[in-house]
Amino acid sequence: MYRIWQIFDPRRTLIALFAFLFTLALLIHFILLSTARYNWLEGPVVVKAPAAQMAPLPPAQGQGK
Amino acid sequence: MTDERKSLSGLTDQEAKEFHSIFVASFLAFTAIAVVAHILVWMWRPWL
Repeated sequence: MYRIWQIFDPRRTLIALFAFLFTLALLIHFILLSTARYNWLEGPVVVKAPAAQMAPLPPAQGQGK
Repeated sequence: MTDERKSLSGLTDQEAKEFHSIFVASFLAFTAIAVVAHILVWMWRPWL
């Protein structure tokens, strides 16, 4: 098995492996931060009901014609 | 000298063995840390 290092250059292999693992770790951590259950910084975010005082826009009048 | 460095990467047999032992040890250490981290997260909030 060790003969693999006579085929693949150890330096390039290590750089590629570290780059891959770092990117994967970053991806997984950001995915977890984006969830409510596994966000260890904010905790579960309670979604509030939309504010009642926000009235809908009045219908558009005479646009274009 | 001429026969020692014929591999593609340029490593001799002995050098490849030495690097491989370090690589395997590092891999096992990384795996152990990852297993511990997963156990801790499972204790915090299991995902299944």
